[in-house]
Amino acid sequence: MGGVVLENLSNKKLSILAVSLLLILIVFFLIGGLIAPAPSNVMNMVTTKCHDITVDVKPKSWYIPRGPAGCDAVDDFDDPIIYQKHVDTRMIVFALWIPYPRDHKQLDMSRWFQNMLTVLQMDIEHRPTNPILENATMKMEVRLGYRNKNDNETDWKELISTSINRPLHCEINGTKNGEQYKCDLVSFFELGSVHYDYYLINLRLPVYPQKPTNQGLGTIKDIWIITIFQNGGFTKVWFALKTTMFPVVLTILVWFWRRIKLLSREPNLLERTLLALGIVLSIMNCPVEWFTIWFDLPWMTIVTDVRQGAFYATLMSFWMIFAGEHIMDSIPKNSLSRYKIHLSLVVFGCLCLFIFEMCEKGMQLANPFYTIWVTETGAHLALAFIILAGMAACTYFLFLSYMIFKVFRNISAKKTALPRMSNIRRKFYMGLIFRFKFLMVLTLLCAALTTIFFIISQVSEGQWKWGDEGISLEYSSAFLTGVYGMWNVYVIGLLSLYAPSHKQYTNADINNSDGSQEEEVQLTQIPTENSALSSYVTKEAED
Amino acid sequence: MYYTDVLNIIFGLCVLYHTLPAVDSVRWLALAKMTSIGSIDSEDHCDSLYGFVKRQKKLCRKNLEIMDNVKVGALVAIEECQSQFKNRRWNCSTADNKKLFGNVILKQGTREAAFVHAISSAGVAHSVTRACSSGTLQKCGCDRTVRGRSKEGFEWSGCSDNVDYGMAFSKAFVDAREKGKKRKNSGRALMNLHNNEAGRKAVDANMKVDCKCHGVSGSCEMRTCWKAMPSFKKVGEILKEKFDGATEVKHQVKGTRNELVPLNPQFKRHTESDLVYMVASPDFCEADKKTGSLGTHGRICNRTSKAIDGCELLCCGRGYRTRIVTVVERCMCKFLWCCYVKCKECERKVEEHTCL
Repeated sequence: MGGVVLENLSNKKLSILAVSLLLILIVFFLIGGLIAPAPSNVMNMVTTKCHDITVDVKPKSWYIPRGPAGCDAVDDFDDPIIYQKHVDTRMIVFALWIPYPRDHKQLDMSRWFQNMLTVLQMDIEHRPTNPILENATMKMEVRLGYRNKNDNETDWKELISTSINRPLHCEINGTKNGEQYKCDLVSFFELGSVHYDYYLINLRLPVYPQKPTNQGLGTIKDIWIITIFQNGGFTKVWFALKTTMFPVVLTILVWFWRRIKLLSREPNLLERTLLALGIVLSIMNCPVEWFTIWFDLPWMTIVTDVRQGAFYATLMSFWMIFAGEHIMDSIPKNSLSRYKIHLSLVVFGCLCLFIFEMCEKGMQLANPFYTIWVTETGAHLALAFIILAGMAACTYFLFLSYMIFKVFRNISAKKTALPRMSNIRRKFYMGLIFRFKFLMVLTLLCAALTTIFFIISQVSEGQWKWGDEGISLEYSSAFLTGVYGMWNVYVIGLLSLYAPSHKQYTNADINNSDGSQEEEVQLTQIPTENSALSSYVTKEAED
Repeated sequence: MYYTDVLNIIFGLCVLYHTLPAVDSVRWLALAKMTSIGSIDSEDHCDSLYGFVKRQKKLCRKNLEIMDNVKVGALVAIEECQSQFKNRRWNCSTADNKKLFGNVILKQGTREAAFVHAISSAGVAHSVTRACSSGTLQKCGCDRTVRGRSKEGFEWSGCSDNVDYGMAFSKAFVDAREKGKKRKNSGRALMNLHNNEAGRKAVDANMKVDCKCHGVSGSCEMRTCWKAMPSFKKVGEILKEKFDGATEVKHQVKGTRNELVPLNPQFKRHTESDLVYMVASPDFCEADKKTGSLGTHGRICNRTSKAIDGCELLCCGRGYRTRIVTVVERCMCKFLWCCYVKCKECERKVEEHTCL
């Protein structure tokens, strides 16, 4: 029995495989760039200022910005009517109906949008008599409702009604009357599923007598609500990719495991890790998101994030174990316990991110308006978790680099010793070195590509155009599908190339067939000097 | 007799031909002064509107619901113009409800005309864009210029930015006046078109780009950016700066090229966002029917200022009269972020200087 497929593949076959994997990668990239639209889209909408005459009536009815049941709107707070009617802050409702009408049709949100998040942009004017005070906080009373297309015009149902605090951070250059403040965006709410057709926001900023809330907010002219959602087209392309990749990876995984089962020995650690990597990738690929098209599953985003995190964690563990198993020293290998520290680093980092994710997105399941960042302690805590995760990642990479350094040092040491070795040992070591270097190059290539793509997607406008024919490449989508495809191709490559080869070492090199039996080595288990010596002795004796 | 008649007619036609293109290219602004509070709600109403050309009436009939926003645009444009020019000899006052600014804007290609054109086209673009953003307009388009081929539209790739529609509508409506066959190539029409475009550029080029990261755990793996419209005050300020640095141009026909070039060839050519004018402005000191100047008699001036709002310059050296007036002001208010607040009324005595 010999090494893995990679060693026994002829150069021609290897290059064919490499080229076809590269082609698949390019296809992924182009699918994202040419077919899919941008990953997400934005609606920048201004709220309608409704006049509420029923201040003390409870329960509150819905204020709808337009349509037959539309509210009594105020165009401008400077309108003399405000003074005439003695309208005060409690009688103003900022109302928004998402989405807007276009081309004479009321658009509707689609379940394909998957998720939606909103931020507020405050339009505040400076007046010397009424400036924004330091540490100003808005206490908003919000109501979020929904309705479906076929429901009655006024039949809005409540998703949540709550009161939220948001600090207001604004700056101004001049002190001129009427100058506009530059305000930071205010995070509003985030939904993990877009299950309904229409959403309605009713927002109030009431000032109650003898209460210090909502004071010193400047002169608010307008509140803009920016809604960001995933594009339906992108979701469709993404689902399609996942649905195709899932069975492909699963098939290769089954083939890989059957190969290992055929061996007479137990699977070694590296093979088990590869199997784990394949399984986690399949879990990530599994297109369970399809259910969101029929059911309201706001937790699906978390599940998707967790699955993605699990994949990257397994990938990192795999690299660690792979490097560790290729250190050609005499410490016994093939046991997971050897990597306790390294793996706990990965687990710790992921745990930190997981806790953070649960604190933010998990809490949002109960209250979409919740965000950890608005309170001081919450922000510190979130930052602490992220810094801890970052530190774990840094330590991990230090460890990994140290291990790789050790492998390379041993490789150069072994190389000088190679000519003096027996054929089988030389073959074994050469195979080991080749396997390691191949993975090194492949991994570095993937990592470099990911980084480069990422940087470009951050720098570029997100869209590239060639010529006047309108051939354009949606770069940010291409980045996402490209990276997704790349790691899939990477794992497929690993599974197929690092599976045990069914080709035997030819006995031409080893005159003695019994010797080959004795010298049977496991994939990465280097025969100890002792056993090698003893086999050498037996060989001598037989001769 | 016969000869002179013909001559007269020809002469008359010539005058018409020359004045028509220049006349009333911003007459539609009279919309702002429309007395009826009610909105423009029927197609017949479009035909009765003062100051619209045929093309604009057609647009009005086709886009009835937008006309209210055009009106708002005209109103904010005039307000902003008056606020920017309140300290100058020409203060953008609209003495005449129909002709608005008088001949200074309508007939002559002055700096002031350039500004009025720019701010009015910016006003329409701004107000239509805002209306699209609020969802009150049913008509705003949803085409994605890129990837517009998808039939699924909004679900597939969302809608384009609201500002695209606002700009397009402003271009169609405001520029309509200059698009007639006769006037197409006159210098004044070119100037108006250029300034209209410069006004829209002032809105478009000053959009603030905001971004939000929303990848896994809030990382910037996914990032979405959008454009936020500048406040109209900001647009007014920018155009006022352009007004101060406007370029004097002349009409030049070179072969088939028909363009405006700087009067002084040594000056740098104006860019798309600069204002251009063809006739130097009068000094606006005295009222003059011909130029449309209202004069500065009776204007309130600032005694301590040495700038254009100072009594020295504003009154053109004629001197000023000072009197003490009592003003009643709202005072000791407790302001909140909006709306009705309780105030006291205070009386205050102030010195008021008015030009002779």
